Amino acid sequence: MLNDIFNILLPHVCLAGFIILQLILSMVLHPKFYRYARLVSVLGIVSSIVLLSTVQTEPQYFAFKNSLMSDSYTLLFDFMILLCGFFAILLSRNLVRTIKGNAYTYNAIFLTALFGAINIVSANDFLTLFVSVELLSFATYFLIAAAKGYYSKEASFKYLLTSAISTGVFLFGVSYMYGITSSINISDIYEIITNQEPSIMYSISSIMIIFGLISKLAVFPFANWIIDVYKGTETSVLAFLSTVPKLALFGIVCRLLVFPLNNSLELTFAVAFISLITAFWANTYAIREKNVKIIFACSASANSSYALLTASLVSVYNLSAVIFYLICYVLMNIAVFAFLNIYGDKNPMDTENFKCLFFKNRTLTLAYAISVIALAGIPITSGFIAKIYLFSAIASSGLILIPFLLALLLLTVVALYYYLKILLPLFTKCDKNIDISYLQSGFSQKFVIYVTAGITILLGIFPEILIELCKFIAYNI
Amino acid sequence: MEIFLSIPFLIFMPLAVSLLLISPLFTRNEIIVRRFAKGVFSFHFLYSVLMLIFFDKANPYVNEIHFFGLDWVQTLGIKFIFRIDAVSMILTVLTSFVFLLASVASKFNIRESHKFYYSMLLLLMSAILGIFTSADMFVFFLFWELELIPAYFLIAGSWGQTDNKNDAAKNSAVKFVLFTFLGSMFMLLGILLLHYYNYISNGILSASFSDIIDSPIPAPIQIMIAICLLIGFGVKLPIIPLHSWLPDAHTNAVTPVSMVLAGILLKTGAYGIYRFNYETMSESFQTVAPYLAILALINIIFTAFVAYAQTDIKRIVAYSSISNMGLVLLGLAAYNQIGFSASVFHMVAHALVTCGLFMIAGIVYLRCKNRDINTLSGIAAYMPRLFGFAAVIVLASIGVPMFAPFISEILTVIGAMNSDLSEVLKFSAVFSLPLLILSSCYMLKFLHKSFFGEAREDWAKINDISVHEFVVLGAVLAGLILFGLYPNAIIGMIG
Repeated sequence: MLNDIFNILLPHVCLAGFIILQLILSMVLHPKFYRYARLVSVLGIVSSIVLLSTVQTEPQYFAFKNSLMSDSYTLLFDFMILLCGFFAILLSRNLVRTIKGNAYTYNAIFLTALFGAINIVSANDFLTLFVSVELLSFATYFLIAAAKGYYSKEASFKYLLTSAISTGVFLFGVSYMYGITSSINISDIYEIITNQEPSIMYSISSIMIIFGLISKLAVFPFANWIIDVYKGTETSVLAFLSTVPKLALFGIVCRLLVFPLNNSLELTFAVAFISLITAFWANTYAIREKNVKIIFACSASANSSYALLTASLVSVYNLSAVIFYLICYVLMNIAVFAFLNIYGDKNPMDTENFKCLFFKNRTLTLAYAISVIALAGIPITSGFIAKIYLFSAIASSGLILIPFLLALLLLTVVALYYYLKILLPLFTKCDKNIDISYLQSGFSQKFVIYVTAGITILLGIFPEILIELCKFIAYNI
Repeated sequence: MEIFLSIPFLIFMPLAVSLLLISPLFTRNEIIVRRFAKGVFSFHFLYSVLMLIFFDKANPYVNEIHFFGLDWVQTLGIKFIFRIDAVSMILTVLTSFVFLLASVASKFNIRESHKFYYSMLLLLMSAILGIFTSADMFVFFLFWELELIPAYFLIAGSWGQTDNKNDAAKNSAVKFVLFTFLGSMFMLLGILLLHYYNYISNGILSASFSDIIDSPIPAPIQIMIAICLLIGFGVKLPIIPLHSWLPDAHTNAVTPVSMVLAGILLKTGAYGIYRFNYETMSESFQTVAPYLAILALINIIFTAFVAYAQTDIKRIVAYSSISNMGLVLLGLAAYNQIGFSASVFHMVAHALVTCGLFMIAGIVYLRCKNRDINTLSGIAAYMPRLFGFAAVIVLASIGVPMFAPFISEILTVIGAMNSDLSEVLKFSAVFSLPLLILSSCYMLKFLHKSFFGEAREDWAKINDISVHEFVVLGAVLAGLILFGLYPNAIIGMIG
């Protein structure tokens, strides 16, 4: 057992240690020391990232009676999750200032959410998976509710309700799976299933498992929560919410689709179909919206549906495309929410309130514009390459998918319309001297937006290195 | 000598200069910015002419860029590879020339944000040159999408021309972007399918045109790909009914931008059809060519009637552009040497004509604050030199002998008549002949209503054309006469 800890669990243990440290500090320290809470979290996350180098990946390593595993795939996702957590905690400057006394508690909960997320990716057991998902979800309810005001509480409650329903669906699917295979271990289930004739119960149970998980990615029947949640949540929490759960759940869903659940054609069909409906819903919903946060909510839902459609057509090539897309996507998203964070949560978020920002602070607005352009998939950004790579993966999956692909491509035109709605006011000239003192920000926020926007451009020019890495990881899964 | 002639320099020099211009380090002094930009455009034109002089048809320029020793995206077989053959060479020089004219014409039209304007103009030039020279489908697509950003800003900006068309310009720019993006998504579908099915049937994972030429893809899939690509290029060309962005964009943009849009941007669509459909997928092109000929015929005749109904000078010119691009399409659809050289020749001729016409419209608008031919009248009395140019360029545009459009129009019809593909081509050739009459109807109406007639008193204060405008119109006219008298300069190069 100690061996297991030293072989793959040091980052987890480190993170857990820092959670306890934050909790102790929250009790011991006087509230006026609230400024150091972020520093402690950053230390925790950075040391976890450093400790990732100790994780054994070759060959796959199983720990705790096969309930946790690690390979290069989990390592990459752990790294990305911790990186996104790192950026999100840097952005929480304004939030921490408003909640002062609770800063350490907030940071402890934040690290708990990260802990849950990295555990999700490593889970090799439906029980572990369930516990980790709940850990992430429960922490997220508190994070969403942390900001002052009515809307954040409403958002938190809506998220709780949807998560509760989806957890129920997930557990129901797991119980069926246990009924078929009398096991909850993912590796064991894979072995048992490959030796069996696929049955209707198997299909139903895999559909329920996957749907229970992906409803957190805002997929169609359970998608409406994302509107209210994004509207009410503080932007630094959104930087977390739009990246970390997405990475964690895509990590486990892709693995499940490749391993135990790849026998079911019905599942592929259902996921592909639902993704298409989600893409349609999200993109058309955003046309009428004026609130920037809601538009990004729709864009988040739409983007995860593109990736989900690709992931459902299981192949190594598609998997590498999905991983590449996710990495590019989370970086763009963090840059976007970093800008909104600098812009200030107290300010109105309608598109017309963003007028003339370009002429007030050119570099910051340019970084934001680059990220939105990347989301729309226009060169020379990583979004362009990611889009081509993802859609080429769908195109190579068979003639039957061409109508799907065409529909997605046409929906990206709709998406461009609402991205333009966000972008164009920035460059509008206006005569009146508006007060944009709120575009002044701390070093940490600027650091986040410049780094992420810079990577977005760099990946647009030199994508091959990261693509090779994604291919390597997809082959090794 | 030839080691100094590199395609990446040709393409990325404007990009680098554009970044330099927009950076805060560069001076904000209007005159320095303008002269610097003009100098860059002139240098670029000379450079491209130099490339033309040393061009050898048997041995086209090829350049490939590696990133850290890797292809751009090895996984998809995308190489950053550029190739200039005869058609690309002609269009490259044409691009360089039209942008030079546009930069000269900018003096009186651009009154603010000089740095931003010239940097966007250079960026657009870079993107268009990338389209004309890339030898890889995805690189082509990259430049095709990249061009949206500068084109949006150029169309949407009012650049200090204080009138209340600000919102109209922005809306038409958004319309342009959305239409182009819609087309390019169809194009992306076509490219992805072409890429994948070429890999399946040929076994080569590559997106270079040279690896895809005549690949044995099953016929139904080929036709599907061809249609997707044609929708993409049809938005840019434009083919009716995908044309509705064009009159708005051309009317609301400032004069130099209209010149660039009509002179060069439309040619990217025709070039795309040539590069993808005509050359790379010739098998499916022969199947769709008769239908294209019909669409071309509709373009030619329908828009000529629409142009006749317009009263705004810029709208007349814009619709005549669509009509003329129909002719280019007809030449390509003929699928023989004559038709093909005619269509390339017509691209050049039409670029010159349309630059001249938009310049005239811009000059009239600057002087009279008005482009409506019903309220303009008798400006010839106060602007005799402009009238001289206008009369000659209008005559050239309706296909009077001795000017370039005459040659290309005749050659297109001959090409379509000689086509072996289908009787439809001959039918289209016969029925496209009324273009000559129709174009003279609307063009002469424009000339007659705005320049002749009783002069209004407000015109007394207006000046005749200045040196800059004289240079632009003179250069256009020189080009038209040169290629009208010596068409072999272009046809010999292609044939």
